[in-house]
Amino acid sequence: MANNVDLSVDFCGIKFKNPFLLSSSPVSNSAEMVARSFDAGWGGVVFKTLNSDRLPIIHPSPRMHCVHYGSKKEMAVQNVEMISDRPLKHNLMEFLYLKKNYPDHPIIASIMGFFTDEWVYLAKAAEDNGADLLELNFSCPHMCIEGAGHKVGQAFQLLEGFTAAVKETVSIPVMAKMTPNITDMNEPAMYAKKGGADAISAINTVRGISSVGLDDFVPTPNVFGKGAISGTSGPAVRPIGLNFIASMAENDELNLPLSGIGGIETWIDTLEYILLGASTIQVTTGIMHYGYRIVEDMIEGLSDFMAERGVGRISDLIGKALPNLHETEAFDLERQGITQYDLDKCIGCGQCYIVCRDAAGQAIEWDAERRRPNLIEDKCLSCMLCKFVCPVPDLISYKEMPRDWKRQETAVMDKRLEKDVKLEPFTKEGPDECVI
Amino acid sequence: MSNLDKFRAMAAGLDLSQAIAEADRCLLCHDAPCSEGCPADTKPAEFIRKLRFKNITGAIRTIKENNIMGGACGVLCPTARLCEQKCSAMFKSQNRPEGADRPIQIGKIQRFLIEHSWERGIRIFEKPELRSEKIAVVGSGPGGLSCAAELAKDGYHVTVFEARPEPGGVLRYGVVSYRFDMNFLKHEIADVEALGVKFQCNAPITGNNGAEKLLEDGFDAVFLAPGLWDAATIKPKGKDIEGLFSSVDYLSALRDGRFDEMEKKIKGKTVAVIGGGSVAMDCIESAVKLDAKDVYLIYRRSYSQMPAEPDERIEAQEAGIHFLLLNQPVDYVTGKKDRLKGLKLVRTRLGEPDESGRRRPVEISGSEWIMDVDVVIEAIGNKAPDESPGWYPNVKVDEKKRIKADPETGKTSVAGIFAGGDIVRGPALVVQAVQDGKAAARAIKEYLNK
Repeated sequence: MANNVDLSVDFCGIKFKNPFLLSSSPVSNSAEMVARSFDAGWGGVVFKTLNSDRLPIIHPSPRMHCVHYGSKKEMAVQNVEMISDRPLKHNLMEFLYLKKNYPDHPIIASIMGFFTDEWVYLAKAAEDNGADLLELNFSCPHMCIEGAGHKVGQAFQLLEGFTAAVKETVSIPVMAKMTPNITDMNEPAMYAKKGGADAISAINTVRGISSVGLDDFVPTPNVFGKGAISGTSGPAVRPIGLNFIASMAENDELNLPLSGIGGIETWIDTLEYILLGASTIQVTTGIMHYGYRIVEDMIEGLSDFMAERGVGRISDLIGKALPNLHETEAFDLERQGITQYDLDKCIGCGQCYIVCRDAAGQAIEWDAERRRPNLIEDKCLSCMLCKFVCPVPDLISYKEMPRDWKRQETAVMDKRLEKDVKLEPFTKEGPDECVI
Repeated sequence: MSNLDKFRAMAAGLDLSQAIAEADRCLLCHDAPCSEGCPADTKPAEFIRKLRFKNITGAIRTIKENNIMGGACGVLCPTARLCEQKCSAMFKSQNRPEGADRPIQIGKIQRFLIEHSWERGIRIFEKPELRSEKIAVVGSGPGGLSCAAELAKDGYHVTVFEARPEPGGVLRYGVVSYRFDMNFLKHEIADVEALGVKFQCNAPITGNNGAEKLLEDGFDAVFLAPGLWDAATIKPKGKDIEGLFSSVDYLSALRDGRFDEMEKKIKGKTVAVIGGGSVAMDCIESAVKLDAKDVYLIYRRSYSQMPAEPDERIEAQEAGIHFLLLNQPVDYVTGKKDRLKGLKLVRTRLGEPDESGRRRPVEISGSEWIMDVDVVIEAIGNKAPDESPGWYPNVKVDEKKRIKADPETGKTSVAGIFAGGDIVRGPALVVQAVQDGKAAARAIKEYLNK
């Protein structure tokens, strides 16, 4: 690496050499694996969720499925993975090994219990064996018992109570991991804060169904003839993760450090989470697809970006996109624009014509002879769908129009039908908010 | 389009989205056979992975740190038998030994990344701390440039001595512009200059003991990479023939300001090129582009024994060249004022394999014939000048007057003098010369730090 930017971050008073962490999952199942990930460059780990040995953990088989998109593999991964199936003692021995051999790499212990005593027991065990921080798993997406996994993440009093109990027990910082299977994450996050949480991590997997077998009608993964709604992860869920992180980062009342999770594979994905308010990020599915090595490109890519922009520290980037994030009502609707076409670059595939005709403003005529689109400017909706499908970069771009420019109204098919319309104008006054 | 325009620039390469799409096809193999296939250790698996994960500056860094001539190699390497040869994306398996897809176009990705670095103005190397040692590099071809860059990166003072008016060696005077253009070369050399390497052109290191004297003139080490610039010929000694060119002379003329002159000599004429290698292919194809009436390739063995790359051979056929195989040139027929009139050939058949493993051409007695030609270009190999051993009298050379150097380090029989590229290997690839330069630079650093 040619540059010397500082990627280290302070998270809840703990120093990480970079913001890239393994999330609690199969990728952080053992010290052997985690040690290799540290060697590859990862800054820390959220170790796979500990269990108290009270109930046996047996994994369904097979335990995963995925969604491909065309030739792109693993756009999403579906899992019915459980928490760690290893004895608690073994996991704690792994902590001791990692603390001894990688003292500069913080260990975050993920724990999940069913009742207060169990939460407290696991928290204390983790702290006593070297955990630097706790992550309370309030979000495992395929728990069936009320009050466990994502079902506690949706039961706010329980969430607050468990957090408070853990906080009373340990002196290390405590982070609450949130489920995205909810409308507004700020609500449970505030309960976690009331319980004493020092940070929030989000998102856990999104409840979903990856596919249904067409021979047997069994949703996947097909566990001997049975499927289940379970956790979806991977690049497909990244917009969902960014939404929850940004909305919590904007919440001044919450004001807690955030650990961003969901669909991260590259330094750009990481940077987007950071710009929207995360100060560490966690990865599983990217590693499931490509291995620990992706962190090399996260480190180098982010370092180069920072060097190029003259940014010295990660903390100078955290939340820097938030001032530009608004409600849609803040948009200046006076300013309008259209697409413009650099037809010298056109290869004549006509995809722009199809999407404009069938999903937009019918603003393109097709010159069949020349195999070229012909834009009717005042019909263009500036949706940019044509640009998205265009295979040639920079052929289609956005152009702002003068303020007095007007877009054509969508034409009515048969004006003679006006006389047949049954309609009275709406004349009632009302408030600018929704009331019943 | 004028003929000059045809020669001015090479065809455009991939753009960013195409390069990313190609990198997306990469299977990111665990053991990366592509990287093992690169003679200069350019690490294609690493730069493709970096591109795949949007770490584009990093991808460029990988290439440039490992191969300062990465652009030239991306364009000129016969990738099909190097990095791309064992690419897993071909989906070859025991079930499907013929494969089911194309290899990743590694050369094209490499070329794109280098062009992209120029466009984006990405600088990879920091200014190193300068050291006191001075190193002389003789020859500014790929081997010399590679060695010079490697040393300059570590702060050594490097002066490159080039016999010709401009730097680049074979990259400037030995390839045609539609394959590798001047703009590209300019950028590649600028990258080396930016490291602090000094160039002295029109500065041949010849004459009695010329090369060894550099060590007395204040240089702490010398890297000899002058290339092979004398042409092998079947012409009798001392005889001048109007219309007969060596490939060296012909290809140089197209690049060194004599284009119009050479175009006149080729246009409308019947041209025969002797040889079966990549250089011969460049000669015949360029003769077609210069509007020769007919272009013949004369080769003494058959099609499959040609050393030229398969794609070059097919391109040449598509260009309309007449392949005249199993014919051995033996002499030239001249008319008034030594003007070339014909090429005397004898037919051959293939006999037993020779030391190269290819079947040896055996002349068929009584089958001599004379082919009417206006121009002949001999592309039958380059050699060291007869007098060259005198430039470095203590450096051991072999019977072909090539320098004997250790393949791992470039060390010659004289302490402080290293050598690499064609002057050691004989005619070889650009990427092999790059590797020699790298290896010698390593050995020179070791030598100087003893």
